[in-house]
Amino acid sequence: MFGYYFKLGVRSLRRNRYLTTLMVLTLAIGVAASVSTLTILHVMSGDPIPSKSDRLFVPQFDIGQKEGYIPGADSQDLQMTYQDAVNLLRSGQGERRTAVYGIRLPVEPPRIDIPAFSAVGLAPTSDFFAMFDVPFLHGQAWTEQDDARRANVAVLGREVAEKLFGTANPVGQSLRLGGQPFTVVGVMDNWAPVSRYYKIVGGGRAPSGEEIMVPFSTATGQELGVYGSLSCSSALEPGFAGILASECTWIQFWFETRSSLDRAELQSFIDNYASEQRKLGRMQRAAPNVLYNVMEWMEKQKVVGNDTKLSAWLAFGFLVLCLVNTIGLLLAKFSVRASEVGIRRALGASRRDIFGQFVVESGVIGLAGGVMGLLLAFGALALIGMQSDATAAAARMDWQMLALTFLMSVAAAVVAGLLPTWRACQVTPAIQLKSQ
Amino acid sequence: MEFRPILSSLLRNKTGPILVAMQVALSLAILANALHVVNERRTVAARPSGMQDETAVFHLAVRSLKKDAPEQMLADIKRELDALRAVPGVVAVSQVSQMPLSRSGNSSSISIDRRQQRESMAASTYSADEALVKTLGLKLIEGRDFQPHEVIDVDETKSQQRPGIAIISKPMGDKLWPGESAVGKTFYFGSGDGAEGVQVIGVVERLQTAHALIGDEGEFSVIEPTRLYGLPGNMYAVRAETGQRDRVMKEAEAALRQSSATPMLLQARTTEDDRQRRYRADVSLSWMLLTVSVLLLLVTCSGIVGMASLWVTQRRKQIGVRRALGARKVDILRYFILENVMITSSGVVGGVLLGVGLNHLLVSKLEMTRLPLVYLVGGAFLFWAIGIVASYGPAWRAASTSPAMATRST
Amino acid sequence: MLRMTNLSKVYRTHMIETHALRGFEIHVSQGEFVTVTGPSGSGKTSFLNIAGLLEEFTSGEYVLDGVNVQGLDDAARSRLRNEKLGFIFQGFNLIPDLNLFDNVDVPLRYRGFNARERKERIEDALAKVGLASRMKHYPAELSGGQQQRVAIARALAGSPKLLLADEPTGNLDTQMARGVMELLEEINAAGTTILMVTHDPELAVRSQRNVHIIDGQVSDLVRRAPSLVGDHDHAQATA
Repeated sequence: MFGYYFKLGVRSLRRNRYLTTLMVLTLAIGVAASVSTLTILHVMSGDPIPSKSDRLFVPQFDIGQKEGYIPGADSQDLQMTYQDAVNLLRSGQGERRTAVYGIRLPVEPPRIDIPAFSAVGLAPTSDFFAMFDVPFLHGQAWTEQDDARRANVAVLGREVAEKLFGTANPVGQSLRLGGQPFTVVGVMDNWAPVSRYYKIVGGGRAPSGEEIMVPFSTATGQELGVYGSLSCSSALEPGFAGILASECTWIQFWFETRSSLDRAELQSFIDNYASEQRKLGRMQRAAPNVLYNVMEWMEKQKVVGNDTKLSAWLAFGFLVLCLVNTIGLLLAKFSVRASEVGIRRALGASRRDIFGQFVVESGVIGLAGGVMGLLLAFGALALIGMQSDATAAAARMDWQMLALTFLMSVAAAVVAGLLPTWRACQVTPAIQLKSQ
Repeated sequence: MEFRPILSSLLRNKTGPILVAMQVALSLAILANALHVVNERRTVAARPSGMQDETAVFHLAVRSLKKDAPEQMLADIKRELDALRAVPGVVAVSQVSQMPLSRSGNSSSISIDRRQQRESMAASTYSADEALVKTLGLKLIEGRDFQPHEVIDVDETKSQQRPGIAIISKPMGDKLWPGESAVGKTFYFGSGDGAEGVQVIGVVERLQTAHALIGDEGEFSVIEPTRLYGLPGNMYAVRAETGQRDRVMKEAEAALRQSSATPMLLQARTTEDDRQRRYRADVSLSWMLLTVSVLLLLVTCSGIVGMASLWVTQRRKQIGVRRALGARKVDILRYFILENVMITSSGVVGGVLLGVGLNHLLVSKLEMTRLPLVYLVGGAFLFWAIGIVASYGPAWRAASTSPAMATRST
Repeated sequence: MLRMTNLSKVYRTHMIETHALRGFEIHVSQGEFVTVTGPSGSGKTSFLNIAGLLEEFTSGEYVLDGVNVQGLDDAARSRLRNEKLGFIFQGFNLIPDLNLFDNVDVPLRYRGFNARERKERIEDALAKVGLASRMKHYPAELSGGQQQRVAIARALAGSPKLLLADEPTGNLDTQMARGVMELLEEINAAGTTILMVTHDPELAVRSQRNVHIIDGQVSDLVRRAPSLVGDHDHAQATA
């Protein structure tokens, strides 16, 4: 019977072109708007590293001056000072730890025919790569010893490596970065999480991912400037050395623990550290020290901006409107068929049969709406993607979204069709068709 | 006006009218809020930066690939400035530490009394030579511009010296010293005994910060006559003659490369481009909201027209009877339009309530601003008008029904 | 075949009660061709609706082909209707969106026949009414008489035991009407019981048996002689 109803539904679509196009179009627009904003919302708020997002932590201290401080106010320091970063690195706390800041370097390619260019990247410690599951195409990360002796080693992003060395394995090759000779020890494979959650404060990232990585100690040793956010709440001496010695915050720090249950232990560690620092005259505000895991950090940094949420809400409101509109159209469509229903009932269709027929017919409309909705969704994604680089990265159509479009369209059509279908079933099998 | 009979007939057959009213309500609520946001964003994106004729301005970020001594770097800067000034079509050039709308810049704590515990405000500092006001095309309204000899050269790797004088933006002056002229007054960077005092010698009408944040934050700017050197990388702001910007930009790049024996990294960007990037999110959100608004109106319109047409068709016989009983065409027309207006009105009332509720939600959850009443009122009138216009067609068809329909049996 | 005992049908709307049928008795045997006549408002339409399981009755008993329909739910009644009955309406009531083949197909679909069986039955039925060649045409392309013949084919396709006809020739001119009646008589001769409501006295005369309804009750007259007018008066007198 399903096949029969399906055939009837398709035929019915073709019969009344105007009404059908209107219905399908209305449904399609509503579905397209909802699915596209939902996808972007989902991708942007999705867990970028589900296997360990609950055991990677950002510690936050309040370094600010005591004067003018109102207890309870949010800390202005979202990153860490050099002193604290070095101390925490040395502490050995947690399974792994890393300090990282953003850099921007001139790259002088080994081949003369390629002009020099600027590369944007990070200066992390060696643990960074393991902590964030960074995939490698060639070679591997540098070692702890490289960190310790400020080695001139570098890990390249895939695009940059191809630009400089083609598809060959460049490990061991040398190139000039910031006027200094460096050796390539590894090339990262495609790694560009939708949001730069591992270093979110300040500075942008190339769309294809991090272009260059050099060791933290090497970068600070060569006084590579901070390409990101530097926040100073007290006086500092001139020069890079002044920054290192100051209470300016500019470094992102991460701990990795063995399991999420170790959070309490980590918390007491940073609390102890802070009270020790207070004895040295620092951290005079004695504000609470906070730990954020990945999702909490993304929430605090408002990775999913209000604009994205607004778009999603709006789209849903629009879908509801389209649904109500479709109910009206279906009521119109089905009411015209009252006589057909009467005939079918007279010929032996039970209410259940009629219900089935019209539910399937609604579903067919939903399917047509899904096809149209898919086409429109492409357009919608393009439009929304223009908002920022982050949304552009998230605005991609994948199989899940494809399936969701059809599912939503059919579901919406069937739901919208429930009232009209119920009405259709109430039509009495009338012999009084002649006396209307 | 036959309100009561229409009302009772509507109440007896509720489904259709309710559906139409719901659509009107939803549309009105969403539309009012959406247009409010669009207007806000458009206003934000249209804010003037304080620069006259932005389309003539661009900036060049230069970085030498050779590591030089700071003194050499200073000489390079002076040479590069000369090279740029020599390019035909250049009106003015200035070395500068940051550019408005570029989203890359600093922010400092400002106070008017050393003993202050809390800052008066945060302002953004442009360190530049004496040509900045002219290059950016800022409007000096009080005091004077810098003299060339007042510009100090500061080696960033060694010194934090400040020139002690500054030009500030008017909004900043108004906030620090309301009602008074800022010229001659002193403010401090930071607070406490070590805080540096700065005397205001001039005020520009407006200069947005590099980040151009919304509200006051984006308007508090300081210009200090300082030529910074010593760290790799310099920036030059250039004003070209109107209409010549692109050519001048190309030639300026070439001139800089030629002026130096060592290779350099150069990035040129126009202020026009900066503006577009800064407001990219706002503009695209606006477009999205506008698109949805138009679609909302279309869908609701089609809903009203569809429902009205359906009722006319369903009540053909009844209409014929009315005509047979003496109703004129205009009476039928009035009946249907009135019926639709009543339905639309209930939708409008619902929409106003829903719109206010939706706005509350947006304000509390998404940090949006409160909806001014004018949007709801305007929206209400809009939908009334739409209701009347949309029902006109079907009402006209109804009015054209022949009285003979009364006797026809289907 | 069809037996109604002490049947009554009361319509209740708001405060008004209408007795459409009261104490209604009728017994139709297999193979009969019965016409049902009566003035408007007499209840013959209600009778046909109830006989066709299109409406429920208030009290009494109705047995159709051995099945007591009392207490059957909508699904069961629909099944019964589908299997045992065939309908022919005055207004043809073909579905305009479907071609002739698909129109005749409709009741068979609810019966659950497989595709091959359905095809056979449809082709047979259309052939029986002489319209097999126009299977793919749409109702709008046919004359009134032809449409009614298709309706008859639709009624026959499921091999019903009882055929209910409501003014089948009402919308046809004399020539077409005669054609349809001949067809019905052929079908009856082949074994199908026919119950036909009509206004036309000439048609009432042609049938073997005429049931006359007045004010919701049966006035049963067995007809042999073709004289309507007198019988009508007779009916009035006995009511």
